[in-house]
Amino acid sequence: MSSPQMLNSLPATSGAYTNGMQIPKTVKVGHLNHYFGEGELRKQALYHNNLEVRRGEIVIMTGPSGSGKTTLLTLVGTLRTVQEGSLKVLGHELNGATNDAIVRLRQELGFIFQAHNLFESLTAYQNVNMAAELQGMNRKLADERITYLLTRLGLGHRIHYKPKSLSGGQKQRVAIARGLVHQPKLVLADEPTAALDEQSGREVVTLFQELARNEGCTIIMVTHDNRVLDVADRIVNMVDGRIRSDVAVHETSVICEFLRRYPLFADLQTSTLTEVADKMMVEEAQPEDLVIRQGDPGELFYLIRSGRVDVVVEENGEKRKVAELGEGQYFGEAALLRDEPRNATIVARTKCLFYTLGKVDFKQVLDRSKSFDAEVRAVLASRT
Amino acid sequence: MKTPLAWKNLTYNRVRTGVALAGVGFAVILIFMQMGFKGAVRKTATQIYDALDFDLMLRSPSYLHLTEPRTFPRERIFEAASMPTVAKARPFYLGLSEWQAPQPDDVPPDQWHGQWRGIITIGVDPNDPPFLPEDLRDKAAELTDARFVLIDSKSKREFGPKNGSRFGPEDIGVETTLGSGRVQIVDYVTLGTGLAANGACIANYEGFARACPWQPLDEANLGLINLRTGVEPNAAKEQLQALLGPPTTSSTPSAMPADVEVLTRAEVKAREEYRWVHQTPLGKIFTFGVWVALFVGVAIVYQVLSTDIANMMAEYATLKAMGYPNRYLATVVLQQSVMLALVGYVPSLIIASGLYAFVGTWSGLPMIMTWQIMAIVLVLAVAMCTVSGMFALRKLFQADPADLF
Repeated sequence: MSSPQMLNSLPATSGAYTNGMQIPKTVKVGHLNHYFGEGELRKQALYHNNLEVRRGEIVIMTGPSGSGKTTLLTLVGTLRTVQEGSLKVLGHELNGATNDAIVRLRQELGFIFQAHNLFESLTAYQNVNMAAELQGMNRKLADERITYLLTRLGLGHRIHYKPKSLSGGQKQRVAIARGLVHQPKLVLADEPTAALDEQSGREVVTLFQELARNEGCTIIMVTHDNRVLDVADRIVNMVDGRIRSDVAVHETSVICEFLRRYPLFADLQTSTLTEVADKMMVEEAQPEDLVIRQGDPGELFYLIRSGRVDVVVEENGEKRKVAELGEGQYFGEAALLRDEPRNATIVARTKCLFYTLGKVDFKQVLDRSKSFDAEVRAVLASRT
Repeated sequence: MKTPLAWKNLTYNRVRTGVALAGVGFAVILIFMQMGFKGAVRKTATQIYDALDFDLMLRSPSYLHLTEPRTFPRERIFEAASMPTVAKARPFYLGLSEWQAPQPDDVPPDQWHGQWRGIITIGVDPNDPPFLPEDLRDKAAELTDARFVLIDSKSKREFGPKNGSRFGPEDIGVETTLGSGRVQIVDYVTLGTGLAANGACIANYEGFARACPWQPLDEANLGLINLRTGVEPNAAKEQLQALLGPPTTSSTPSAMPADVEVLTRAEVKAREEYRWVHQTPLGKIFTFGVWVALFVGVAIVYQVLSTDIANMMAEYATLKAMGYPNRYLATVVLQQSVMLALVGYVPSLIIASGLYAFVGTWSGLPMIMTWQIMAIVLVLAVAMCTVSGMFALRKLFQADPADLF
């Protein structure tokens, strides 16, 4: 019997093991540094960035201006040369990639820039077609898709207008259509909705969601627009060139739901639960693995993300299975609460995935839970 | 069909394209003019020879160019005439004399201080003038007296035409001084001396002797040989040179006559052109002028194209970001450059032709728009635009797209 494996200190909220399954990565950023300027004026813009984006994910990057979001986005989009660290996009390492490889890779990406950069001399249709043409798309299919996208983005009546006769928002939507027309595997968008009203902005992100769902397209979007945060599968927050948090939204809410079922955590606010989720790590166990052994000191609190375990208690030299636990259930808390050795042995029945919380963090959360409780009591008591 | 981006860009912003065309056109006209001047130098050299009737030419080995022909003994020409292949051998005299502008009718004789000008004086035999153009032959036949001259209508106005600009019919009968004697203009011809001299006149042998008294008539400047039909000029030249002895510039007396060089018509033309274009300061100046015009042209076109590209840098960078290879961007910009060159060329050709005619009339220079000049300037214009376009693209090629937005 082997013990369960700690997975490279992978945080639970990274979403890497959503539904216990690993989804292929579109973008993998490893220890990425970036600098602007030369010599004396050289200034570091990105510090040790690590990020993984999975296929079909919609990632929203937030953070104050100057925090490096756009720099990271343009690096991922091959629009800047990688200086230090590793950056893999669609399986290609960009650090040291040849010019030809980069040109080929660019054709699989879709860009939506803050500035629309449309050719004034071409109509909306022709501008979008520049992207389709490059891919050598079938004429008829390309024509259908261009018309579909422009119509979908509310420009059906302006397909053959030149940018001069379009409003700022309309130009931006043409640029969005141009970024999507060639069915890119990865779309990079810098403030795509900034120039749009609420309705068109909503239409754009809905379109993004459809592409992500139907075409497996991955979307990385830099935005300050809080109205569109709800479409994000992952929210990356950057401050001063560092990735401060990188959270898979759905997985985090699943963890919070699970945690809330634990009576001691039931009173906690969502923000506190999210923090707890953030501190949890991923652990994996094969069938028959011994997760915890009765009599050992307790170090971790376990939440079962998937799989089933047996709870076995050994009394008077006799092993007795007392319970079977499954998804969303937890174990290991008693030893932490009372600072006692484990009172039971846990054996994985199937392949299991756990989210674990360390003893110190666990206690901290309980303290906060208590202080919250005390606070509420104090508030109630002060009422007359 | 691919989107014709270069064409769309040019036709969309007409003002910008107009400015670019004006720039390209200016540069092209500049080159045209310098090519025209250079062509005039070349033409200078051959204008008179083109009008002369000969297959082989005898001349002094120390001949320099048209207005510095030097002399050789006239008997060599008669010796040459003894060759069975030679049909005709005629001496040809050419020297620089002095011409006084004729006295206008309304100026009293005691108040006339007419300007003296250097003039090319040609001496021919009026009974058999060695000219190719028929009207020149007919008019030369009028030179029955040593006092008669034909004046070149392309002579400059300082030579004193009655109408103040060109010699014409109204100058017939006018008297003036040439060299040391009085002469009368009996007719006018169109010959042209280009950059070699400001004017020319034709007299008979005796008239030439009066105009250039320092040169005895038994010392000829050129010997014009006509071969019998069917004789190969190069072979005849070898024979003739063998007969007359190898040419030498040595002044040591020698038993063999060695004072004449025999050249074919093609050699004469080639050497004269080479002399004027490559050895005279004039030719060098205009050859240099072509280079200067080219550099100035490249500078103007580069300025125009790079501004144009800079204006669309974000759009081009977007194409680059979309995965268009540098090759495509280069093609678009080069197409644009070549279109500008071609479209800018046509009006420039028309304007330059007009300027050629104007400068030709005004200065008397033989400015002629030949198809060689047209072709060379067209190639230069396209090359100029292409090179400038490539230079302007450098920034786009080198920079990361993200730095260009």
